[in-house]
Amino acid sequence: MILFAASLLVSSAIGILLTFLLRPSLKGGAAALLVLRLVAGSGLGLGLTSCLYFICLSLGLSRFVPALDLLLCLLLGIAAYVLFRRNAPAADAPSPAPGKPSLLKITLAGVFGLELIASVVSFVFAFLKEPHGRWDAWFIWNMHARFIYRGGDHWRDAFASGLDWSQWDYPLLLPLSVVRSWNYMGGEEGLVPALLALVFTLLTIGLLVAALASLKGWVPGYLAAMVLMGTPFFVFMGASQFADIPFSFFMLTTLVMLLTGVREGEDHSAGPLILAGIAAGLCAWTKNEGLLFLAIAAGCLFLAGLAGGGLRIALRRIGPFLAGSLPILLIILYFRTSLAPASYLTASFTLPALAEKLFAWERYAETARAFFIMGLSFTQGLVDISKGMTIHPGSVSILLLIGYLVLAGVQIEQRDRTGIGQAAAILALMAAGYFFIYVVTPLNLSYHLATSLNRLFLQLWPGVIFLFFMAAATPGEGQAKGAGPEVLPQPTKSRPLPGKKDRNAKEGK
Amino acid sequence: MPPSRAAWRQKAGVILLVVLTGYAVLNLTWQGLIARPDVPEKDSITLHEARIAQLNPLLPASKEVGYVTTVENSEIFPAEQTFRNVEFLAQYVLTQYTLAPRIVRNNPDKPLVVGNFIDGPPAPGFLEKHRLVVLKDFGDGLVLYRREPKP
Repeated sequence: MILFAASLLVSSAIGILLTFLLRPSLKGGAAALLVLRLVAGSGLGLGLTSCLYFICLSLGLSRFVPALDLLLCLLLGIAAYVLFRRNAPAADAPSPAPGKPSLLKITLAGVFGLELIASVVSFVFAFLKEPHGRWDAWFIWNMHARFIYRGGDHWRDAFASGLDWSQWDYPLLLPLSVVRSWNYMGGEEGLVPALLALVFTLLTIGLLVAALASLKGWVPGYLAAMVLMGTPFFVFMGASQFADIPFSFFMLTTLVMLLTGVREGEDHSAGPLILAGIAAGLCAWTKNEGLLFLAIAAGCLFLAGLAGGGLRIALRRIGPFLAGSLPILLIILYFRTSLAPASYLTASFTLPALAEKLFAWERYAETARAFFIMGLSFTQGLVDISKGMTIHPGSVSILLLIGYLVLAGVQIEQRDRTGIGQAAAILALMAAGYFFIYVVTPLNLSYHLATSLNRLFLQLWPGVIFLFFMAAATPGEGQAKGAGPEVLPQPTKSRPLPGKKDRNAKEGK
Repeated sequence: MPPSRAAWRQKAGVILLVVLTGYAVLNLTWQGLIARPDVPEKDSITLHEARIAQLNPLLPASKEVGYVTTVENSEIFPAEQTFRNVEFLAQYVLTQYTLAPRIVRNNPDKPLVVGNFIDGPPAPGFLEKHRLVVLKDFGDGLVLYRREPKP
């Protein structure tokens, strides 16, 4: 287990150091920003080291992976140190004195802590019941990890095995994260997939808290995390060792970084946008639908820039985003062209069949009905196939968020309007994309909807919660000194204080 | 809306969220806790793995093996896709999961064939039709067959 911890530590360090390089303005000591860096960086590090592992595996260098990881870590550490030294005067700038936290913030922090412990206990119960995870875990993800690890030098054979039912076209972030840990440990340890599932589950919760705390305040951050932890299907899917939770983590990271990039203005958006591009690329390296997400995110970013400032601004935004995602896209391209068999969604694709489905209105009706029922009910868990889809919102669902919004109202800062609109468009287009994939699916439509729609909604759920609390009013913030958002970086010699005008506007000056 | 009224409504919203999410989180933990005594000491996949792993010493490291079960191989996937029976597919997949990186083909057309009969024996004449001869019977419905060449 020490070696597993070492593998996690190294991947986390790589991701965290990368965030230092790409977003040096986060170097202020504010707690929310620190947690955001740790959480987002740890997840990105896990994804990036799986990419590095794939490169090493393809070159026959997998036995050197720990050494190469350490070398990369060292190089990034040196670069981060140099950057830190260059900006040292800014680090010495006085930090604002921390104010007394409000009673509400303290109370919510306590409730959040209790709910976090209870959620981890629930995760452990689910793990003890099914330590190998549920269906897709051993059908796809852990199966692929075993084939690759046990296959040794013949690891490629599995992709040409003809075992199409195991979806060998699925990308390799999750299986290779498992294999990488086994490589560090020198053997196949059955606990690793479950531990990685726990890590991604906690990282997603942590990212939601930290992102909202840094962009809006701790109160919405805690509330958002409570909604996510109160989603039984989230904890259940986490313990099931599926790729949907890691996917939702990278999707949320993309949305957070895109929003941060828009908020920080054109002069400072490159770092967050590169990180957003990396996260979107890792979405595509986690699940096939990540390619759809990447295309939609890039399109929305470009169009928002075009609408807001013209072609020059659009290119300035899309450039860093694509620069972040391109290396990962090249890996995916190599994987797709040299290893992966055709996807079941495209293998039997013909234009006449597509046209027939596109004009079959009953397919739209069935899909829309499933979207409505599942949209209200997916938070509660799996569909009972024998009963079919039934409305069962439970205590936590989209209805709870709507109820909160009716009570609390909307409060969107001017500087976040574009970013929130852009992120909402991305999520809405993802849902629309899923809708049309179902309409044209080559599988039996009812079967496909019943076995996957709840998971697709769950992928979007952390992003929806994040956007919801970015838009909803919350009490307490700004009432106590220091209790509000801690997003503003310290002024640096080389960088003017960004967002000063906005901060003044927010503080009512 | 007057500020004080807005603040009260926001606080009411927070209370609503805290109560309902708290209930959901604690209810999930409680359900896990009360179900705990009924959870078997070993889960079904671990048991299935231990059972199938008995084949490992008798199988070549990288060759393909065949697979037969209680129903015809051609029925395994359709039965799952129509939700009539997911067990046959689960048993086949778990056999593959355990024996990886060997390939377990969903047919009896290989020199060595795994017989997995948790849900009962195959139809009479099935084994003869496919010229399967018992190499080793491990008990509990697990049999390793050798396929006889065509006469």
